[in-house]
Amino acid sequence: MIDLLQLVFAGLAQGAVYGLVALGFVAIFSVREIVNLVQGEYAALAGLTAISAVGAGLPLLVAILVAIPITIGIAVLLERMTIAPVKKMTPLTSIILTLGVSTAVKALMLLIWGPEAKGLPTFPGSDIVLGGVSIRSQELWVLGVSAVVAYGVIWFYEHTVRGKSLRACAEQPVAARLVGISPRTATVVAFAVAGLVGGVAGIVGSPIYLSSWTSGLTLGLKGFVAATLGGLTSLRVAMLGGLGLGILENLVAGYLSSGYRDAVAFVVLVLVLLFKPHGLAGKSSAVRV
Amino acid sequence: MSPMLRRQLPFVALAIFLVLFALVAPHNVVDIGVYALIYGLAAIGLSLLMGLAGQVSLGHAAFIAVGAYTQAVLVSKANLPFLVAAPIAVVASMIVALIVGLPLLRLRGHFLALATLGLGIIIGVIVTESEALGSTSGLYGLPSLAFGGRTYDTAQEYFLLLTPVIVIGMWLAVNLVKSRTGRALSAVNDSEVAAECLGVDTFALRLRVFVLSAGYAGLAGVFYAHWLTIVNPSVTHFEVSVKILLMVVLGGLGTVWGALIGAVAVQVLDEGLRALLPVIIPSAKGEVQLIGFGVILVLVIILMPGGLAQLWSRVRAKLTKPDPAKHGAHEHEISQAEQRELLDKSLGILARTDHEPVGTSILQIEGLTKRYGGVTALDNLSLDIKAGEIVALIGPNGAGKTTAFNMITGVLPPTEGSVKLHGKEVAGQLPHVAANLGATRTFQNLQTFKSTTVLGNVKVARHLRSKAGLLRGMVMADRAEERHIETTAQAAVDAMALTALADHPIADLAFGKQRQVEVARALALEPSLLLLDEPMAGLSGPERDSLSWLLRKVKATGVTIVLVEHDVAAVMALADRVAVLDDGKLISLGTPAEVTNDPVVIAAYLGTDDEAEATVEKAAAAHAVDSASEGGTR
Repeated sequence: MIDLLQLVFAGLAQGAVYGLVALGFVAIFSVREIVNLVQGEYAALAGLTAISAVGAGLPLLVAILVAIPITIGIAVLLERMTIAPVKKMTPLTSIILTLGVSTAVKALMLLIWGPEAKGLPTFPGSDIVLGGVSIRSQELWVLGVSAVVAYGVIWFYEHTVRGKSLRACAEQPVAARLVGISPRTATVVAFAVAGLVGGVAGIVGSPIYLSSWTSGLTLGLKGFVAATLGGLTSLRVAMLGGLGLGILENLVAGYLSSGYRDAVAFVVLVLVLLFKPHGLAGKSSAVRV
Repeated sequence: MSPMLRRQLPFVALAIFLVLFALVAPHNVVDIGVYALIYGLAAIGLSLLMGLAGQVSLGHAAFIAVGAYTQAVLVSKANLPFLVAAPIAVVASMIVALIVGLPLLRLRGHFLALATLGLGIIIGVIVTESEALGSTSGLYGLPSLAFGGRTYDTAQEYFLLLTPVIVIGMWLAVNLVKSRTGRALSAVNDSEVAAECLGVDTFALRLRVFVLSAGYAGLAGVFYAHWLTIVNPSVTHFEVSVKILLMVVLGGLGTVWGALIGAVAVQVLDEGLRALLPVIIPSAKGEVQLIGFGVILVLVIILMPGGLAQLWSRVRAKLTKPDPAKHGAHEHEISQAEQRELLDKSLGILARTDHEPVGTSILQIEGLTKRYGGVTALDNLSLDIKAGEIVALIGPNGAGKTTAFNMITGVLPPTEGSVKLHGKEVAGQLPHVAANLGATRTFQNLQTFKSTTVLGNVKVARHLRSKAGLLRGMVMADRAEERHIETTAQAAVDAMALTALADHPIADLAFGKQRQVEVARALALEPSLLLLDEPMAGLSGPERDSLSWLLRKVKATGVTIVLVEHDVAAVMALADRVAVLDDGKLISLGTPAEVTNDPVVIAAYLGTDDEAEATVEKAAAAHAVDSASEGGTR
């Protein structure tokens, strides 16, 4: 029983990271219908940047406050440089394009930081044992920070006029333009949000899960799977989906074999697409002729 | 020289070039060539997937890995000879693709791409975890290939061994693109809904192409294994998948020749970057060539989405001078009488003899309803259509006419109700099911296949009237059938008086002409039930008259026609029965005379103002005249 709780709790922390990454997928997909394969790289980039900042002697908090704006800036800059110039975006071109960007960013990280995985120092606090379940302080940090950031993003998009109209852009571009919101602004904001959630995920997770030039690939895929649970459009379900995926992975790793951890996401993806292709809460969209 | 022979020339040239290259080029260059050909095989397969199925695999390395590992196990552990093991290895890759494609290819957009990315990771996990497959150190000690009295252990020998494989692989792939399957899938990429309504089972064809592309990758894996004589988890790595993707994208999305050119370019780039980057940046180690891959992928998509193939066709267009005869020539004007004679001849070619007897019920619509949230677009429509009649659906915009069409043809699933075609339920099925039962349609907003010509559009409609499958198309065993497709498609083009435009790209045609192509396309399917959504829109007066005349002729061959039309006068003159829809409800059904005199129709649809009444009277009069003339000619 304690084993189970232990695995579930560790899974929750891991899942929170996936959930944050999933929010980035949803933020961009609901505005541009692009699956942004760079999403995972934001996390790796933020983690590695913060590690370098700490290495340069900056206090942890300052390093984080430097790394996150840099990540957001790079996310927006890459969008302006690569997504914005493409006139006719199809699912095929968007996939290839974002894969290309993601590959280049990966290689750049390899050039700058080398092939070894590194971790940020653990955030302040001490590990606790609760009813036999030992909890790392960093896991509490992950959960707390993720909850705040996820709540903020969901609140922004669902409860502020500004946020709601940004999302409306995708469905009603003309109407959105009439009330003074350009698709361009909506896109830039979406990429900034994606950079923010990716960056936060990469930094809070770094002390436990480490950061390396390749970590964006699997993290991105798992975030995508979580986002798919929400039909790529629901922020809430994406976040919850991330938590669920994290727990499931940890149970598989704990009870079966840790080697198969990375296979869980793929199996979940296939099952979801097989039985609930429009997401767990989604409804089917009509084809217009 | 016959066009068929001319089509083989590039392959002969390729074979000669490859052999000369192997004999002449220095050893280390041939060595790069071997890798280019091995990865090129996989790239050819991926180019088919991207060009024909419109899908992308981001984990193509997974299929190479399955082929390579299977081959390694069969040869080094089970001691099977190469020629026995290789087909098994290829099939193993294809089975993995089948398992992945079966659930995922039904979905649109991004899912196959992400799932294959996941598959790449999983295959990597499996081979790393599996002790039987040698974990991280992999399987080694594969024997060098030796058969036919030669040992293929040098780059030159191996290159010569690969040459026939790549030439035949290219030949099969190019044939596939030009075959019935290739034509249908290319149509799907232009307009999935139109292709489905012509009977193309998108999912089944895409799945076959996906499985085939995995087969190419599996074969690449076989040759990879024997060349390196070792297979380890590095073959599953992400960079291998990116490399193959880049080959296809750089060469030109979906062009088979582009994939081969791309393979050579990317392999050279790969070797170059690996050698160069550590010189420029001394700390660089690992897979740093990826930076070049990523940057080039992005640049190609932004600057030159058609890749090198696009560049080549631009250069060729500049080199070949425009042919004045082709562009300056007048369309040959033919008289109406000639045209009508041509039509009779064409309908003779196209007419089916197995239509149900006039008067039997062929389409039964019962309680058909579509709701969008709180809005009811179509409310409980019931209608019984008999063989050989023309039924018109009329009503104001938003009355639910097109919604009804969409549900009858399977484009939309109904909220409630049933649609039986020849007694079989088609509601909620995909459009190709209705097409298979003989129902096809045209579209209110044009759904043409923009990347081809007028004739090319119409040929797609022969899909259901021809049979050649993937394999027959690949080995060119479909020539007789292709000639028949050509003849019948030409007949449909002639029937619509589009003969002079047959070889024009459809995108160059005026709106009204494109609409006529859609009708020709629908006729070429030899339908038993033809659904026309506003066929008169955008047509001139004489063109409308011709179309009415044609539709009566088509009806006379036994075809049932249902049409949605706003030109009330034309409808009243043409239809045997008229169904009036208003606000999603059927408010009147009867002969044109009955409907025009129905007070409900006059009040609800036509209004009570003078202009509307005048329209009705004019329509009724036109119908009377028309019926009289029909009677007279019989």
